[in-house]
Amino acid sequence: MNPDLDLVLERVIRAPRATVWRAWTDPSRLERWWVPAPSRCRVDRLDPRPGGAFVTRLSDGGAAFAPHLDACFLAVDELERLVFTNAITSTWRPANPDPVAMTATVTLDDHPDGTAYRILVRHGDPEARARHEKLGFADGWGTVTAQLAALAEGTVTP
Amino acid sequence: MAQYSAQLDGVFVALADPTRRAVVRRLGHGPASVGDLAREFPMTLPSFMKHVRTLESNGLIRTLKSGRVRTCVLNRERLALVDDWLAEQRRIWEERTDRLEQFVTDPEENNR
Repeated sequence: MNPDLDLVLERVIRAPRATVWRAWTDPSRLERWWVPAPSRCRVDRLDPRPGGAFVTRLSDGGAAFAPHLDACFLAVDELERLVFTNAITSTWRPANPDPVAMTATVTLDDHPDGTAYRILVRHGDPEARARHEKLGFADGWGTVTAQLAALAEGTVTP
Repeated sequence: MAQYSAQLDGVFVALADPTRRAVVRRLGHGPASVGDLAREFPMTLPSFMKHVRTLESNGLIRTLKSGRVRTCVLNRERLALVDDWLAEQRRIWEERTDRLEQFVTDPEENNR
């Protein structure tokens, strides 16, 4: 947890864990609370298992549904934990979502009053990308390719 | 908005390193010279200067040279950008949790 970039939310929800879990994992239920009214949400894909898709669309003021979230589940433990990220799309393509990528971890625990509900949202660490740019990522690959070509053509003695 | 996003990106880059976050926190107490700051971190001066330059190029700090001393000053407005953005994210998740709570505690919704 990096206090400068992450946020944590903890709450007791007066409902059984199974009910909260179902609200998260059943598309017709998720649609009913995922976005603030009067916007409307449509769940295109919700496949709560590691590597599964999580895709929602959003409609404002009756307009056509536009892309909203295109994410991928990383970890799913029945009734306990859901982890998803938008750094990878639902088709496992690396993404650069605006303004930074996030990974959200939703944790459910038993509580005398219902469910102890916790959300941790980790926000992107674009350091890796910056480092790539600094090192001239494209140049790097060009160099490797040139070396490989030279080697293949026998101009370099390994 | 796109420009705001680019600025924010830079701030995230700058804050993605523990040394740089420590410098930002240290400068929160007031300006300090590069020399004094560098002594607080177990690394060579050139390595430390790289961090200073990253902070400066992303607008998190300003540096002023007076004679042979370079002083670092925190740019609070730029830091506020992250605060504002994080506060906004927090609000989004808080409200989302409110709606979830309302939904799961509504008997009509859950007996369908």
